[in-house]
Amino acid sequence: MAFRRKERKLGVSDGKRRYDLPLNKDSGADFLVLLIGLMTFLALMTLLGSFLLSSVSERWSSGLENKMTVEIPADNGSGSMRSREDIAELARKTALKLKDRQSIHDIKILSDADIQALVSPWLGEDIAMEEITLPGLVSVSLEDSSEALLADIEKDLKSIAGNIQIDTHQSWLADILRFTGALQFATLAIALIIGVTTATAIAGAIKSRIAIHKKDVELLHLMGASDGYIARQFQRHALIMAAQGAIAGATAGIITIIIIRLIGGSGAAGLLPDLLPSPIHITALALLPVLVCAIAVGAARRTVLKELSLMP
Amino acid sequence: MIKFEHVGLRYGVGPEVLSDINFILEPGSFHFLSGPSGAGKTSLMNLMFLGRRPTRGLVTMFDHNINDLPREKLAPIRRRIGVVYQEFRLLPHLSAFDNVALPLRILGRPEREIRNNVSELLEWVGLGDYKNALPQTLSGGQQQRVAIARAVIGRPKLLLADEPTGNLDDEIGFRLMNLFEQLNRMGTTIVIATHSQHIMDKFGHPRMILDSGSLKIEAPKNWIQKKIQGVF
Repeated sequence: MAFRRKERKLGVSDGKRRYDLPLNKDSGADFLVLLIGLMTFLALMTLLGSFLLSSVSERWSSGLENKMTVEIPADNGSGSMRSREDIAELARKTALKLKDRQSIHDIKILSDADIQALVSPWLGEDIAMEEITLPGLVSVSLEDSSEALLADIEKDLKSIAGNIQIDTHQSWLADILRFTGALQFATLAIALIIGVTTATAIAGAIKSRIAIHKKDVELLHLMGASDGYIARQFQRHALIMAAQGAIAGATAGIITIIIIRLIGGSGAAGLLPDLLPSPIHITALALLPVLVCAIAVGAARRTVLKELSLMP
Repeated sequence: MIKFEHVGLRYGVGPEVLSDINFILEPGSFHFLSGPSGAGKTSLMNLMFLGRRPTRGLVTMFDHNINDLPREKLAPIRRRIGVVYQEFRLLPHLSAFDNVALPLRILGRPEREIRNNVSELLEWVGLGDYKNALPQTLSGGQQQRVAIARAVIGRPKLLLADEPTGNLDDEIGFRLMNLFEQLNRMGTTIVIATHSQHIMDKFGHPRMILDSGSLKIEAPKNWIQKKIQGVF
């Protein structure tokens, strides 16, 4: 260390920290760091949104795939209400009827507590089950959910009660999956736009720095410095700025996620996934600053090489 | 080694600033480049340090046809050329040491070798105490010596100097001319653009005289005599 200090006193700059071009002293670097930080933050939140939407879609589609719910309505179809005992008896008959089919994997008659848990987000926790007649629900797992099989089951169940309905969730699930798919596409498009904007901002900044140091760049070029040697000076500068911005942006993103978790709780009654991404998604988000740095270095290199190609 | 055949240069659509230039510089030769202001000395130097390509004619350097060479292949040739610019062109944020070290760093030489060679050369040009000085804190003559040290540090095959002794007193000027002669004896081809009749007379090397874009080469009598004595 003392040896290096003595060298620096003699005017020998630190080899690793030395800039042939004074890029580190240029004004405007702070603005670019701030811009990269904001872009990283936005990209992180956008990707997190995309990953959460992916989790929601997966949860809903895997949870409801090849499943159907048999509903025994509270009214008997002719205007009068069924008693709770009648509904329970019809549910039992439904289960017995379905039990003999080979294409049925699992049958579960939902208890009053199960149904209460299902309706409580809409009707509240304090509903008095005795006062309201709820429909009977039988959850069924199928081998497959082909239309022919469902039609056959429906026909079979109609013999128990004419107004029994089966719901395979397909119609609304398809709509929701289409909607979440569109949202996911939108978030990925936004992430792409953020990436392109970052690359463009860095390319612009590098271009202006080349213009500022044109004479010095030309001198290095005439001394025989290869394009790669000159480009590396700018790449290193872009990397340092990008690393500072990306780390700051990612840190701000993580803090924001923690705050949202603290304020919003988790899971939204099981409909939405927890705001903590899966390990794969966490890895992908952790790699975001690395990706931002790679974009910065790539944009800087491309810009410098393009500008140098104009020199003889 | 360096051959110009019917070389012409024009900037954009303007008139030719150099027309039909023909000469050969043998390896290890020493020439002065002279001529009135605006005669095209800087343009000719520009062609020789590969700052431009000719608009016509053929330039051959170190056995390479410069006209057809792809630009990425020019960098290794440029590394064999040392240039002392009239306006020095030192990098203002780098110390005298780092300015002189630059060609060696571009060549990728080890830092230990750079430290030794640069320190030695700075001592030699009388700037041993100014290693850490920034160019703007040095006098014109000191800056010129840094520029010269930077041009010769990489032991170039061809050294081009534009008025290298212009800002120096006679003693330092002659000392630097002696350095150039020493380099020349070690095999470096040297071309020095100068207006100084005194320097040209004292060192007596052949002169490339540019006038209105055309070139003629003159050799002083004593130089011819020396050559003849050397041959026989």
